[in-house]
Amino acid sequence: MLEFFEEFPDMSRGDLRDFKKVIDSAFRSFSRTYGEAIESFFDPILWFLIWLEKLLLATPWPIIMLVIAGLCYLGARSWKLSLGSILTFALIGYLGMWEDTMSTIALISVATLLCISIGIPLGIWMARSDRVQALVTPVLDVMQTIPIFVYLLPVLMLLGIGKVPGLIAVCVYAMPPIVRLTNLGIRLVDKDIIEAAEAFGADKKQQLFGVQIPLALPNIFAGINQTIMMALAMVVIASMIGVRGLGIPVLQAIQNQYLALGLMNGLAIVALAIIFDRVLQRYGKRLQNYRKGPNND
Amino acid sequence: MNKLLALFALLAVSLAFVSKHAIAENCEFQMADMNWPSATLMANVDKFILEEGYGCKIELIPGATTATFVTMNEKGKPHVAPELWTNSVAEPLEKAMEEGRLFSAITGPITELGEGWWVTPETLKRHPEFKTVLDILERPDLFPAKEDLSKGEFIGCPAGWGCQLSNQSLFIAYEMEKKGWILVDPGSKAGLDGSMSKAAERGENWFGYYWAPTSLIGKYNMKLMEFGVPFAGYENWNGCVAKGPEVCIDPKPSAWTKSIVQTVVTKKVKVMTNVMKYFGKRIFPGPIMNSMLVYMEDNQAQGADGAIEFLENYPEIWTNWVSIEAANNIKKAL
Repeated sequence: MLEFFEEFPDMSRGDLRDFKKVIDSAFRSFSRTYGEAIESFFDPILWFLIWLEKLLLATPWPIIMLVIAGLCYLGARSWKLSLGSILTFALIGYLGMWEDTMSTIALISVATLLCISIGIPLGIWMARSDRVQALVTPVLDVMQTIPIFVYLLPVLMLLGIGKVPGLIAVCVYAMPPIVRLTNLGIRLVDKDIIEAAEAFGADKKQQLFGVQIPLALPNIFAGINQTIMMALAMVVIASMIGVRGLGIPVLQAIQNQYLALGLMNGLAIVALAIIFDRVLQRYGKRLQNYRKGPNND
Repeated sequence: MNKLLALFALLAVSLAFVSKHAIAENCEFQMADMNWPSATLMANVDKFILEEGYGCKIELIPGATTATFVTMNEKGKPHVAPELWTNSVAEPLEKAMEEGRLFSAITGPITELGEGWWVTPETLKRHPEFKTVLDILERPDLFPAKEDLSKGEFIGCPAGWGCQLSNQSLFIAYEMEKKGWILVDPGSKAGLDGSMSKAAERGENWFGYYWAPTSLIGKYNMKLMEFGVPFAGYENWNGCVAKGPEVCIDPKPSAWTKSIVQTVVTKKVKVMTNVMKYFGKRIFPGPIMNSMLVYMEDNQAQGADGAIEFLENYPEIWTNWVSIEAANNIKKAL
C-alpha cells in the first residue's frame, strides 16, 4: 500500500514505448499517404515566395533602394525615415549582406502579410464571440510556448526543408500577438460609444468598421509591431530548416564563434525589423489622424 | 575414505580454478564508455564478451572523445577506448604511439563507417546504372530542387559545421553548378535529418551528405556512393577542400577523406594476449551496427541492453571473434 504512495504509479516502460511507437508510426503512415497532397496544397505559397525572392534578387539594387524609399514615404510620409532606410540598406549592401537581406525580406514580408491577414479577422471574430475566444486562447498559448522543433519535426517530415516550413514556423510564433491585441482592442472599446452608434442606426457591420476597428487601432498596431518583431526574431530558426537569408550566416557564426559575422547579420535583422515597424506604425498613426485633427473634435 | 574424497574434491576445485585462470589471465581494466550510441554499444559488447568469455573484470568509464583521450594519454586510464575517431586527435595520438604509451588494437572496428554522399535505396533500385557519384552527377533531373525544378538538389552539411566547407569545395571541384546542381544548406542537423527521412519515407530520390554509423542510415538503409575518383591526397584535402572555397580556390575532385577509427589500448592491456587477440578480430559489419542503432533508438535501449540484443541475434558474427570455449561460456551466460 505504501509503495503506491512512494512511487508514482506510472505506465510500464514497455507500454509507454509502445504508446510512443503507435503515435510515431501513425504519423509516418499519415505523412506517407497525404504528404504529397499537403505539399502541393502549399505550392502556390512556395511559388509566390520564390517569385518574390527572385524578383528582389534580379532587380538592380538602385531600383530596390528607390522602391524602399518610396514605400517608406508612402507609408510614413517622412523624409527622415526614407533617408534612414536608404542609408541602412546602403550599409547592408556595402557589408556584403545584400542577397541574404533580400531573401529575408521576401520571407518576412510574406509572413507578416499572412499573419496580419489571418490574425486580424481572427481577432475580430474572437472579440465578437466569447465561445471563439475560449477556444482560440489556449491554441494561441500553445503556439507561443511550445518548443519550436516539437512542431517543426512533423512539419519537416511532411514538407521537407525549405521556405514553406520556414514560413509556417515564423507564422506560428508571430501570429498570436496580432490576434490577441486585435481582440483586446475591440473588447476595450467603450460600450457607451457602441450604444451611441446603435442609436444612430448603425448596423453591426457599420459598428465594426466605423467604430470598433478605428477605436481599436492603437492596440491593433501594437499587435502588428509585436508580430513583425517576432517574425524577424524567427529568421534564424527558419534558417535552421534550410531557408536562405540572414539566418544562415548567424548560424555559421554561432557554431564557430565568429563574433563580427554574427553581429553584422544580427544587426541587419534588427535594422529590417525597425524599418518595417516604423513605416507601419507611422501609417497607423496617419490612420488615426482624426484623433488630433480639429474638424473631428 | 572421507579424507580421500575431500582431497579429490579439493584437487578438482583447484584444477577447475586453474583451468579457468588459464584463460582468464589477469585481466582487470577500465574501458571508456563514450557518449554516442555505437561507442557505448561496443563498450558493452566488449565488456560482456570479455567478462563472460574470458573471466575479465571490466569497469566502464563514461566520457567524451577529448576527455577520454587526454586521460588515457596522461594517466593511462581508462585502458581501452573501443571506438576512437582519431582524426580529431591525430597529432597527439601519433606522438603517444611513438612514445609507446598508447597502441592501436585494431583500425576500423566498424566497417563502412565515415562521411560521404548517400542516396536512398529506392534511387539505386530505380537506377541500377548508378555506380558512383560521377554517374549521379550527370542526372540532376532526377533530384529536382523544390525551389527551382530545373536544377538538381544536393543536400550539404548544416551551416557552420566543418563538413560544410568540405562539401562546398567538392561542389566546386566536381563542377556541379555547371552540371545543373544547387547546394542546399539544411541549416541544422534537424533539417538534414528531416530532409533525408522525408525522402526515404516516401521512397523519393535524395542525394546528400551524411555519415555512419548512425541510426538514420540504418533505419532507411541509405546507400553510400563511391566517388568514382580516388582520394586526391592529404595536401588537397586538408590544405584545400577542408578549408572551404574562400581559402581554397582550386580544389581537386577527390573521394571523401577516410575517417580513421581505432580501438586504442594502453600498455597494461597491450600485454593481455587474449584480449588483444579478441580486439584484433572484433569487427562490426557496418549494416549490422546501423541496424543495432535503430534497435536501440526504437526501444530507447541502453548500451547494455543493446549488447545483449546483439549477442543474442548475431552469434554468427561474434563467435568468429572468440575461441570456441569462450563462445560456449558466453552463450551460457546469455
